[in-house]
Amino acid sequence: MSTEPNPEPNPAMAPDGDPEVYYLNMGPQHPSMHGVLRLVLKMRGEEILEAEPVIGYAHRAHEKMAENRNYLMFLPNTSRVDYLSGMIYNIAYCQAIEKIMDIEVPERAEYIRIIACELNRISSHLLWFGTFLLDLGGITPFLYCFDDREEILDILDSVTGSRLTYSYGRFGGVTMDVDSAFVARTRAFLARMRDERLPKYRRLVGDNVIFRERCEGVGVITRDVAFRYGVTGPCLRSTGVAYDVRRAEPYSIYDRFEFKIPTRVEGDTMARFDLRIEEMEESCKIVEQAVDGLPEGPIMPAKPKKRYRPPAGEYYFAVESARGHFGTYIISDGTDVPVKLKLRTPSFSNLSSMPDVLRNTMVADTIAIVGSIDVVMPEIDR
Amino acid sequence: MRYVRRVLGGLISLFVGLSITLRELFKKPVTLQYPHEKPSLSPAYRSAIKLIRFDETNSHDCVACLACQKICPSFCIDIEGGKVEGIKKKRATKFTMDFALCSLCGLCIDVCPTVTLEYSKLYDEAGYNRDWNMDLLEEFTDYEEQFITEQREREEKAAAEKKAKAAAAKAKAGKNEKAGKNEKAGKNEKAGKNEKADKVGGQAEEGEA
Ligand code: SF4
Ligand code: SF4
Repeated sequence: MSTEPNPEPNPAMAPDGDPEVYYLNMGPQHPSMHGVLRLVLKMRGEEILEAEPVIGYAHRAHEKMAENRNYLMFLPNTSRVDYLSGMIYNIAYCQAIEKIMDIEVPERAEYIRIIACELNRISSHLLWFGTFLLDLGGITPFLYCFDDREEILDILDSVTGSRLTYSYGRFGGVTMDVDSAFVARTRAFLARMRDERLPKYRRLVGDNVIFRERCEGVGVITRDVAFRYGVTGPCLRSTGVAYDVRRAEPYSIYDRFEFKIPTRVEGDTMARFDLRIEEMEESCKIVEQAVDGLPEGPIMPAKPKKRYRPPAGEYYFAVESARGHFGTYIISDGTDVPVKLKLRTPSFSNLSSMPDVLRNTMVADTIAIVGSIDVVMPEIDR
Repeated sequence: MRYVRRVLGGLISLFVGLSITLRELFKKPVTLQYPHEKPSLSPAYRSAIKLIRFDETNSHDCVACLACQKICPSFCIDIEGGKVEGIKKKRATKFTMDFALCSLCGLCIDVCPTVTLEYSKLYDEAGYNRDWNMDLLEEFTDYEEQFITEQREREEKAAAEKKAKAAAAKAKAGKNEKAGKNEKAGKNEKAGKNEKADKVGGQAEEGEA
């Protein structure tokens, strides 16, 4: 318990003379806070009057690091921004540079990228699924989904050589080619996921009355709040807005694949849960189509450039990460070192909406609500 | 009544859940008892970089161009080297890499003009301190003198071959009365792979500067 919650006082958090009002610190070292998030709660009894997320505990200055190294040297940083969907971020950065510099990516590399990114999205959602239920007190599903996630990590490991911080993309392609073993394993995984695992998760968790009671109507993000804070990803889609960068501004070759953008209108924790399960299914569909269509050919341009000097100017490139709209904003002065490289990370906006969402809820629901928006703290702090 | 139905519904879903976990109980465990059973390493597995030993020369082919040192985002490579007495090829005399800093990004491997870097398969490394400075030349130093002698022979041989070729080309050109053109072509031919590597290294150096 603390009486001095914040170095920069937020007027809403100030004690208002009510002797019943007290403050509760949740995190940064709380077993069910995601990473190192600190939530300062102003409470009366069990009711949250005001909440304030405090961030910055995992700050590693990635954006600053970008300013003193050339474009290539920033590559390993990208998958460390969000280590749970590192592949998407790594590839997104490559795609941004490719778009700026008009680098042609070989067809095969595009397909491999899509497969890798979508597998990564599934693994990220699986991890969320496991930890979210762990927060709510269910240990068994966590063990099951980590088994699945492990399979994805092994599949990606077999081509990238690492499990989380991939550095797999290069400007113009990818570092390593996939073989028939990779394809066979991916297909086997997809079959297992669709036929066995996802229906099991639905029966074990999604249909469980106790779980539904815990989640339905809890932590409602209204469309208005979502728009005001720039909430994206499954959190936005749970309010009925079918916004997905893959569909809204198709990048790479996403326009060639058939997939749905699942939406819900309730905006509550249950809606976000259902959405992510459905999104895993859609990702499976995309992976299957990409594996079927995987063409032969090179995985890097014939002559990759040695130095990358984007023409002076400002550029923005967005992709859909597992958590929402991820943008890379580059200001170049024509040299091979960016003047500024800003990463627009979805978790930050999603977390910013929390004070509005948490107001007048019960402290026991905090974990369910914060867990359901799927924040990754290192991504927020960068 | 509604309350009773809810409790019943809860009970049923509880039993559905229990039946799923019960069935899972009799399946083969997926857990690997790690130190006793080891999974096989992925073929793409990345660990600390190392210098490749080439069969033809029985040594590495680092020409100390410093391209890898300059591209390394973790600034963990330290190379010294240069001209060696007696041979045309440049050689590295010092090549250390701080594995504690390395982010295994592979940029150094991509950039090497002589393709002499690769990932090693070290995997259960542990230590009592933070000193992870690895000397990548260690396994080559004993052999370096012999390499230089052999390299000199190789270079001499290559030079002699080149000369012979040029002479032959000249003779042929004299016959064909196209002397100018063919002699030029002969000169442009490279002596061997090694000299070429030197050149590429040099270029990369200039490019990076
Ligand atoms: S793999 Fe990357 S971090 Fe490691 S030594 Fe090579 S360039 Fe440096
Ligand atoms: S890039 Fe290759 S040749 Fe150049 S210094 Fe590094 S290891 Fe040696």
